[in-house]
Amino acid sequence: MKSDKAMRRMILSIAWILVGAVISVLSIFEMLDSFWSGFGGALVAVGILQLVRHIRYRTNEDYKEKIDTEVNDERNKFISSQAWAWTGYIFVLCAAVGAIVFKIMGKDELCSLCATAICLMAVIYLVSYMILKRKY
Amino acid sequence: MKNKVEELRKQKGIKQEELAKSLCVSRQTISSLERGKYNPSIMLAYKIAKIFDLSIEEVFIFDED
Repeated sequence: MKSDKAMRRMILSIAWILVGAVISVLSIFEMLDSFWSGFGGALVAVGILQLVRHIRYRTNEDYKEKIDTEVNDERNKFISSQAWAWTGYIFVLCAAVGAIVFKIMGKDELCSLCATAICLMAVIYLVSYMILKRKY
Repeated sequence: MKNKVEELRKQKGIKQEELAKSLCVSRQTISSLERGKYNPSIMLAYKIAKIFDLSIEEVFIFDED
């Protein structure tokens, strides 16, 4: 990870903490409902965790080397892209099965939701394919 | 694709960790390569061949099956 990228991510983590804190405070004063309180808390927690990781990355050379290797390792990248491909296939299969099952059960709204998800995935795939075709 | 990475590494007396470090990849990648489970990119294959002072064809054996 380049240092300017690491710095940008550190700033982003601080932004998560601030946004989370503001949401939590607004929720405590009942300006937002309780859902936002949990959401704000989660943002603060994620922000703190990310910030700790970034500080460790900047101060611990061994950790930096370990992270850099993990991020740049071509097998990890390959596995990650395969995992995303599997995720897409499994999601579409689940949505297709769901659409059929919900139709049989007479739950038309859920059936439409599954069918819409499949269509959306197909559109995203087509757009991604076109973009990648131009790139490579 | 078969390869001679393990054989060449052992001949040179270097550990998987050391080879991984010099190639900027994880030890698991080297282990996976040696077991023939993962086929490297042309860039990584080139780097590996260069480390052993050989050509890519001498390290990696193309097998259509």
